[in-house]
Amino acid sequence: MELFTPDFGLIFWMFVAFAVLFFVLYKWGWPVIIKGIESRADLIDKGVEYAQNAKEQLDHAREEAEKYIVDARRQQAEMLREADKMKTQIIEDARMAAQKEAQKVMDAAKVSIEQERKEAELSFRNEVSAFALDIAAKVVRNEMKDQKAQSRLVDSLLDDMEKQN
Amino acid sequence: MHLLMNMKKAVLILTMLVMAFSFPGGIKASDGGDAGKIDPKEIIFEHLGDGYGWEVPFNHHKRMPLPIIVFGKDGLHCFSSSRLAEGKEYRDGDAVFKIAGKDSKYKGKVVEMVDGEEYRPWDFSITKNVCGVFIAVILVMWSVLAVARWHKRMAMKAPRKVVGIIEALISFIYDGVIRPTLKDRAQKFAPYLLSVFFFILYMNLLGLIVIFPGGANLTGNIAVTLVLSILTFLVTNLFGTKHYWKEVLWPDVPMWLKVPIPIMPVIEIFGVFTKPAALTVRLFANMLGGHMIVIVLTLLIFIFAAMGPVVTGATTVMSVFFSIFMLLIDVLVSFIQAYVFTMLSTLFISFGQEHGHEQHEKGAEQLQPQIIENK
Repeated sequence: MELFTPDFGLIFWMFVAFAVLFFVLYKWGWPVIIKGIESRADLIDKGVEYAQNAKEQLDHAREEAEKYIVDARRQQAEMLREADKMKTQIIEDARMAAQKEAQKVMDAAKVSIEQERKEAELSFRNEVSAFALDIAAKVVRNEMKDQKAQSRLVDSLLDDMEKQN
Repeated sequence: MHLLMNMKKAVLILTMLVMAFSFPGGIKASDGGDAGKIDPKEIIFEHLGDGYGWEVPFNHHKRMPLPIIVFGKDGLHCFSSSRLAEGKEYRDGDAVFKIAGKDSKYKGKVVEMVDGEEYRPWDFSITKNVCGVFIAVILVMWSVLAVARWHKRMAMKAPRKVVGIIEALISFIYDGVIRPTLKDRAQKFAPYLLSVFFFILYMNLLGLIVIFPGGANLTGNIAVTLVLSILTFLVTNLFGTKHYWKEVLWPDVPMWLKVPIPIMPVIEIFGVFTKPAALTVRLFANMLGGHMIVIVLTLLIFIFAAMGPVVTGATTVMSVFFSIFMLLIDVLVSFIQAYVFTMLSTLFISFGQEHGHEQHEKGAEQLQPQIIENK
């Protein structure tokens, strides 16, 4: 059975052929390929890592931006609120000032009215007293038409003066 | 679905072709053929065996001539195999050569006729198988160097097409087998193991192609697998560490197993040689079996040819169908056997590289039967 008895020539050539194959590939084949594959794998790994980092950073940046936006919004709201407060404050102040002014004007008016009134009262009194004196003079003149009555009055007045002294 | 239709069509056409060719051939064989009757064993071993000259399709007599190189009684002789075709004798100087006949013990080999006696010279002929080995070597070199050149030229691009396929195979073996097994020593042994893998794979696939560049039954020849496993044996033992030799000669087992009668060392030393033997036989037997089944299936057509056209027709359809099926399986087996050979080689080499304790050994022992079962 030829198949089960190895043939010397074939063994010899097989050795030679494999030796040549191995030598050539050992020299110019496998190291280049293995190095190539490994360095490419490294490159891919690095690329993936880089991409992951970039994505992380991007996510981070997005977060940051969101934070800034939220912050800005809060600030804006605060400012608006402040402005609102200031507005009401100003209005309030203005109203207060106006009120004060009005009060002052009113007070002044009151005072002047009072004065006017007093003056009016005084002049009225003076007039009333003038009228009263006039009336009294007229009455006294009517009363003192007769002599008797005049002396009686002088007597009583003198009596009063005596009593006082 | 489309593929299936195409395949069905292809099977039909092939069947018709085979029928068209087989009938005249069969009739001719029975008319004035060599023996009149088909001898399956003869045909099988002729197809699986080696030969001086390469068969030409559709012709049983013409062969592509190959050089015959022999060291006879009086030195080197070199001539074309066409001079010995069909039993002719060839006289080169004083020496007379011929191919031994069927009854000789050197059947089918070149012999020198010395005083009417057959004498077998040292035969370094470029036979069909040697030529096939050279073709495989050239193809492996060409494809691997192409990938290497590609790597030099455009290192950081993604490999595509053929380069991509070869690279996928390389990383399948390197990242899948060599690196996990040999760890930091992977780079040292990778060239050998990758060369072995691609060499076996290409030889297996070439063996499945019927006509010229293929057709030589290389890995189904014990000489080829023997050389490969001897190389693995040499690499394992020449690069073996001190620890490996200690494990072989003075294994870590109870004293009574080694002192009066060295049972374990003998078993271990035996194991050193059975490993390459197993490698040899496994690859050889698997590939031979695959080829044999395909040839037998094809031969069935001719064996049944005597039973009338209906039986022949039915057998032809079945045989072609099963042959194609077997050939497709053989494509898979070609790959698996190359893979298994490389994996076992890696494993054996890794035994020789051991420094620590026998953890690896146990893992390997479990792995090996599993592989055999898978097969």
